Amino acid sequence: MSDDDVKMSQIARVLRAPVRLSASFDARVMAAVRRLPGHERLKLWARLTTPRTVTLMPLPWGLLAASVALFAVLGALHFVVDIDRAAKPIASALFPAQAKPAPQRVQFVLVAPDAKKVAVVGDFNGWDASHAGYQAQHRGGGVWSVTAPVPVGHHRYSFVVDDSVWVADPTAPRVVDNDYGVPNSAIVVPQE
Amino acid sequence: MTRSLRTVTALSLVARVVAAQSGGADPRLVARLDKPTYVAVNAIVDSARAAKLPTAPLVDKALEGAAKGSDGPKIVTAVQQLRVRMTSARAMLGSNSTADEIRAASTAIEAGVSGRDLARVKAATGKRAVTMPLAVLTDLIGRQIEATTATNLVIQLEKSGVKDPELALFQRNVRADIDRGADPTVAAQTRARGLLQRGATSGKPSE
Repeated sequence: MSDDDVKMSQIARVLRAPVRLSASFDARVMAAVRRLPGHERLKLWARLTTPRTVTLMPLPWGLLAASVALFAVLGALHFVVDIDRAAKPIASALFPAQAKPAPQRVQFVLVAPDAKKVAVVGDFNGWDASHAGYQAQHRGGGVWSVTAPVPVGHHRYSFVVDDSVWVADPTAPRVVDNDYGVPNSAIVVPQE
Repeated sequence: MTRSLRTVTALSLVARVVAAQSGGADPRLVARLDKPTYVAVNAIVDSARAAKLPTAPLVDKALEGAAKGSDGPKIVTAVQQLRVRMTSARAMLGSNSTADEIRAASTAIEAGVSGRDLARVKAATGKRAVTMPLAVLTDLIGRQIEATTATNLVIQLEKSGVKDPELALFQRNVRADIDRGADPTVAAQTRARGLLQRGATSGKPSE
């Protein structure tokens, strides 16, 4: 072993010897660091991110949280409604084809020689037999008819004779009705 | 008034405001149904709205029941069953189906058309609306033509490119034949054959 090797071994032995620090060393170092001047943004960040204990009373804070949630829902609903209101005319102007098509006038005819009164009821008038626009007129010879507006699309309907007898339109596609026991008719009004 | 009572009152008020904001309840239902029936129907309508199903057919079904003098439980059952059929109809037709298609499909299901046949008719119509084909199909079944036979006829006509007015004329002709005493199935098959032989888009079928 050369002299250099001996010296290196001695230095290594010294460096490998454990260093004993006092128990308060870490605390003193951190205290010294905290005393150093910090950046303003870091101070704010530290204030926001430092854990702290907060005491809450359940009732008032719970009510506050519920109120905030409710107002958020109300706000969202108002936002949706307002957006919808604002968007509809713009969409109609930009895309006229997407506007709701106008109802088509449809003639309903029923031959009912003994009837005193005939009305048309269906999805298009809320199944309201007293609706003024859907009262058929007697044209003579037992023929009753009315021409009334019906929105584009698929609808179910029926005639009501003398406010009590339900009659499916014999000239229209029939609809099986297992719900209320009185068959209806179907009409598909195309968009012109 | 104690603090708790005030709190409850305030929360109830806010809840009513929220309910009024999100309501959308049809005033015709309020006017024409008794309260328990209205509450039940409105709940079904709300659930349909949440599922993005069209709600107008449900309201119409309830109004129809009221107009026909049905009692509350029957109306609620009818509305609920329609909601179920509409869910099936949309599942079969696809999420981009229109309200009219869903309405027509749910009517077809009620008449006895299976989900599989519904999907077959939809596939045959391609990008065209399936509303009229389903209305005609429902009518044929209602005139005692077996569902599979009627479905196959409508699919044949759709595949050959028959347009809605021609399909409506086909239905009227079949009905007229039946009214004159023809066997429904034979009448439908004969009229369909005539329509197919003339060519789908060449004009009106023979009377």
